Amino acid sequence: MADTRFITLGDVVADEQFPDVDLALRRGRHVDREDLAWYGFLSDAQPLLEGFYRRFGCELIHLVDGYFYLLPTTDRLGRRHLSVPEMLVGQALTLLYLDPATLQHGGVVKRSAALGHLAAVMGSDSLTHVFNPKRKRVDERVAEETVRAKFSEALRRLAALGFVSLLDDDTLRLRAGLLRFAEPVRGRGSPAEALERMVARGELVLGDGSDDAENEEPELEPSSLEPEPIDQEPVLQRLEPLLDGGGAESADLDEFADFGETLTGHEERES
Amino acid sequence: MNQVAIAGGTTRFREPFGRRPDAKSGPGRSAAWLAHLTGGQGVGGSNPPAPTTFVRVASPARRDLKVCHRRPASAYISLVESMTMTDGAKDPRLVLAALASTRPKLELGSLDLIFLSALHLSANGAALAAFDEAQLLNVFEQVSALLEPHAESPRRRATHAIARLREQKLLARVDGAGLMRAGEYALTRLAAAIVESLVEDETLTRENLSVLTRSLRLSLAEILTRSAEAHTPEAWHTAVEAPLRVSVSDLVSGIERRQRSLDLEQQAFQVQIAELLQSDWFGAVDRCLALLESTSATLAELNEILLRDASELSSVLQDIQDVAIEAGATGAESAVQRVSEQVERISAWGAARQRAWSEYYQYVHRYLCDVVRLDPSRALIARLREQLSRHVTRPFALAVAAAPSPRLLREVEPFRDHKPKVSRPRAERERPPAANDGPDPNAVLEGLVLRALAGGSTGLCDVTRQVSADVADELQFVTAGRVAQVVARLAHTTHDRDRPWLSVNADLAIEEWRLVEAQRRG
Repeated sequence: MADTRFITLGDVVADEQFPDVDLALRRGRHVDREDLAWYGFLSDAQPLLEGFYRRFGCELIHLVDGYFYLLPTTDRLGRRHLSVPEMLVGQALTLLYLDPATLQHGGVVKRSAALGHLAAVMGSDSLTHVFNPKRKRVDERVAEETVRAKFSEALRRLAALGFVSLLDDDTLRLRAGLLRFAEPVRGRGSPAEALERMVARGELVLGDGSDDAENEEPELEPSSLEPEPIDQEPVLQRLEPLLDGGGAESADLDEFADFGETLTGHEERES
Repeated sequence: MNQVAIAGGTTRFREPFGRRPDAKSGPGRSAAWLAHLTGGQGVGGSNPPAPTTFVRVASPARRDLKVCHRRPASAYISLVESMTMTDGAKDPRLVLAALASTRPKLELGSLDLIFLSALHLSANGAALAAFDEAQLLNVFEQVSALLEPHAESPRRRATHAIARLREQKLLARVDGAGLMRAGEYALTRLAAAIVESLVEDETLTRENLSVLTRSLRLSLAEILTRSAEAHTPEAWHTAVEAPLRVSVSDLVSGIERRQRSLDLEQQAFQVQIAELLQSDWFGAVDRCLALLESTSATLAELNEILLRDASELSSVLQDIQDVAIEAGATGAESAVQRVSEQVERISAWGAARQRAWSEYYQYVHRYLCDVVRLDPSRALIARLREQLSRHVTRPFALAVAAAPSPRLLREVEPFRDHKPKVSRPRAERERPPAANDGPDPNAVLEGLVLRALAGGSTGLCDVTRQVSADVADELQFVTAGRVAQVVARLAHTTHDRDRPWLSVNADLAIEEWRLVEAQRRG
């Protein structure tokens, strides 16, 4: 800690960057190197802030990909799980982030290209069905409009979380935080094992996250002042049956066992 | 005062006598008009010489644009550039509208482009000012043999190619001999620009930028010296304005042209980096890093030179402008202004490109380190694609913090509204009944009506006038209604079709009822 500018937690809290960074992290923001001042502050204050946030039931995560985020391990601070559209759009954007063709434009892609990429990977019919889950008979035009609307909404929320930057109405910049969507398939082992570890750490939940009461309408704006119901049961307690090898989650994990063979030749990416 | 002069390289010109430059019929000076595009100023044709170019040196107070006749695309491109560079008062939309009205277009195939390039290279190599028809055919046959070795009828195809180039003002006949002898042809300015962009390497380098800026400094220093000795408008024009507009402006334009070439080169680098990674992935990392480093170093050097030299150039230009203002040489002043704007633009280019490249550099560097180096077998994309395609059947959801926003209490000042408030009356509208021992007003009124009827009144107006004679003004209307009610009950009226309106007093008029029998009913 000798090479940092902060000696005590008081120094960190007294820094002018702290309020903005703290609020952003608590709202789920992923802070990467593009947030130059924030990233520098967090890099310097990381040893002190890790203990600070642990008292709130959160872990300050810093991945070698170059981004910070706050991972709630309990519900004391409030948390939510990404919705299905957010997950799908996030993974499609991650694919674009990894595509060398995106390098040509410095990580800037058009919205239409991102939606087209998602439709190409998932299939247009499947995508329409996923984005219109409650409609049995739906007009094609209306369904497509719904897909576009939900895609835009998912983009907006992902931007609020720091996964992308919306440059204008048509373009967006992909950011390093997107690599979080690829974490289950980056490890050396199978994706099922990676998922198991990530579920144990509280990084994700299996299923579409619809049990999360906040997932329907996550409100990150200051207008959201109503207190959310707090589930006092710690996540790790809920995961105990899974860690013991029993429970419904174990059956869920079995579904992930048959894809993604073991990677060789590079290091384990878990932090 | 406007002046008219002949000069090459200007963009304000028109055909004499209103003739269209590209007119197909009748004799004219098309050859001469076209010749000036190639750099030959004031070339005379078979007809009596006449100016092909008109320059109006606009005074600062009047810089309106005269919409010109139809002209080739090169002239308009130059015109637009000139307008945007020099005449801030000109509306570029007007220029573009004039350009759109002419519907310029270029349709060039590979054969045409290579033919033009071959002509350009031949002219440079042999120091030819123009080609005769035999030379044109010879060059075309060489190009055709290179590009389409098995094509037939090369002479006929050469004729068509030459015709196409002439129609598009890329090749111009410059001899003006007409039918007297076979013509001589030269590439136009537009053709030269196209070929130069294709074959000449004009990318900005440290060496050529240093040479150009040094030449600029020398030219400007010389102009500054001459400006101190200029005492007449002609001297100002010759010693300051003309060199600024031609030689200095050309030098600055040369830097800008090379800047644009470097922009294209950077785009090519970006494409090359993407292609390298697509084809070789992990093996391309070192080459990509080398490309990034070399381009970054080049940009940094160029920006350093631009920053250093641009300030010196601006300082000299400021000195020239001060002298011009003091001498009242408006033409020279505007020329200095134009060059200053160009210098500022090339200086801004360096900073902007370095900033943009820096962002790109960081992004690619992160990509190479975070993605390529950590996934050398390039399996991540495939596995992620599989994960995404199966997400519907095997979903999972990432967890993120979502703390509610803190409640921030603030001082609230009561709203002060000075507008009259609209509110209901708090008092009861209905007053409670109270005992009144006075006479019944209805009975009094009826008595008065009866008295009037008994007195021989024959109309409602007369009765009303008598009854309301002592009534207050605000009760006149109510009283009239009550009188009519009593009269209708006590007397009979006739049924006239049109009942006249009669005045009871100055403020009240009522419909007249003529009374038939002024007596109580029953």
